[in-house]
Amino acid sequence: MNVITDSFRVAWIDFMFIKRNIIVVLLTSLVTPLLYIVAFGYGFGSGATVEGFDYIAFMIPGVISISTMTSCFNNVATKVMIQRTYYQSFDELFLCSMKPTSIVLGKAWAGMVRSIISCSILYTIGLFITDDMHLTLQAVGIILVCCLTYALLGVVAGMLSNSHLTMTLFTTLVITPMSFLSGTIFSLDALPDFAQYILYALPLTHSTDCIRSAILGTEFPWISLAIIICYAVAFIIISRHVVVKGRH
Amino acid sequence: MTDDIIISGKGITKKFGDFTALDNIDVSVRRGEIYGFLGPNGAGKTTTIRVMTSLTPATSGTIKIEGEEVKGLDDPKKEKIGIIQQHIALDRDVSVAENIWYHAILHHIPKKVAKERIDRLVKIMGLEPYMNHMTINLSGGWKRRTAIVAALIHEPAILVLDEPTAGLDTQSRHMLWQLIRELNSAGTTVFLTTHYMDEAQELCDRIAILNHGKIIAEGTPEELCENLGRWAVEYIEDGIKKYRYFSDIEDSKSFRSTLGDEVQVTTRPTNLEDVFLELTGRENTNATEEVSYRV
Repeated sequence: MNVITDSFRVAWIDFMFIKRNIIVVLLTSLVTPLLYIVAFGYGFGSGATVEGFDYIAFMIPGVISISTMTSCFNNVATKVMIQRTYYQSFDELFLCSMKPTSIVLGKAWAGMVRSIISCSILYTIGLFITDDMHLTLQAVGIILVCCLTYALLGVVAGMLSNSHLTMTLFTTLVITPMSFLSGTIFSLDALPDFAQYILYALPLTHSTDCIRSAILGTEFPWISLAIIICYAVAFIIISRHVVVKGRH
Repeated sequence: MTDDIIISGKGITKKFGDFTALDNIDVSVRRGEIYGFLGPNGAGKTTTIRVMTSLTPATSGTIKIEGEEVKGLDDPKKEKIGIIQQHIALDRDVSVAENIWYHAILHHIPKKVAKERIDRLVKIMGLEPYMNHMTINLSGGWKRRTAIVAALIHEPAILVLDEPTAGLDTQSRHMLWQLIRELNSAGTTVFLTTHYMDEAQELCDRIAILNHGKIIAEGTPEELCENLGRWAVEYIEDGIKKYRYFSDIEDSKSFRSTLGDEVQVTTRPTNLEDVFLELTGRENTNATEEVSYRV
């Protein structure tokens, strides 16, 4: 049996959910990033220049970066947690003959799809708003890699959380600070060196650098891409482990 | 029914932190039988089911299906098991049809075969009018029927049911009993847990009684009753209901004659409920002191 084919079998029910609820999915995925663009791009940052670009051109790749993380993470983590603890439908995946990697990837795909939809819309809006942004294959590729990385983080969190409270705590303590502090809506150059060292330990800082460079056409930070891939590999190993050992 | 063991667990222990839910139990289910697990709440019935079906890893012990040890999540031997859990394990935010199709997809059933099976099972369970309904909007009974169709879609050789009739009305309960008998007649081995004595007596070829994570008795319903004593003498003395069990009806008559005329006495055949209560304990009575155990 093929790991990837099986992963799409796992994802089928989540795809059905997206198909059935596409309007709600779009609204929940898009409203927050659009508010970021309006409030920060046209409100606080209007007329400003950052790293040689109009602020709006600087921040939209950052908002796309936030979307790759929040949309993937929230959707995957919440869904996995609910299916595992409330519906207990996750059990069926343990009953059929399925490799843990297929289960992990299968649960990640649906979150990726939702995130890709929202990122595509934001990217398209950005292309119309500013001439500094470019549609590149490199940008599409890096967005996909980032979506996969954060969807895998969502699987880990969903497998480890046993209640909405734990999930909310993780989101409040990890996801939300990371969204604001990873150079998404302001340049990290504005921060002291020690803060930059800390923030460069976070995956979203590297995602933001990669997505921004690929979209704005600046020098691509290959090291950041390598770090994101390391995070993705770590998340897949951890999520595979929690799927195998975390059954209760 | 044959003596060949289709699923077995040997030396199964399951611990949750310091709490031992299952304490070194051995379970063997023969091909073609209906095997029942009886036990009070918290005895470890659901944990046994979850460990035997690989839903929960055992702390120690081995599970074998058709003589071969089950290893890993992707072990194809697991495909021989279908399970209907106590808590209905369905995605509530998709339709009934989608839930059923999902199970077919997960079990690699070709589309044409799956459609035929779904049509047949849905008809048997009377689910046709509900196929496009959202699962969340169904009553408990219809959700359970959906779960039954989903569990049977890959035609498992072993059907595991955890408290299958809990919360069902009488009609649904009898319908499910009938279905279990039909599946068993068609060759499906059934492994169920219940705390309804009539259900166990009605359905099971063999029964194990579980208490505090240990199997304390096992046998056919007749054997279990025989071991306790074929005849039960039930009497009220000093306002307390007491029980004595006898293998020979003449012994029960002799005992009865020793009780005063003012004592209310009933002699009747021992049933599974007597066995269960004597082994797992009767609450709020002193009757257990009166029982002479022979199991």
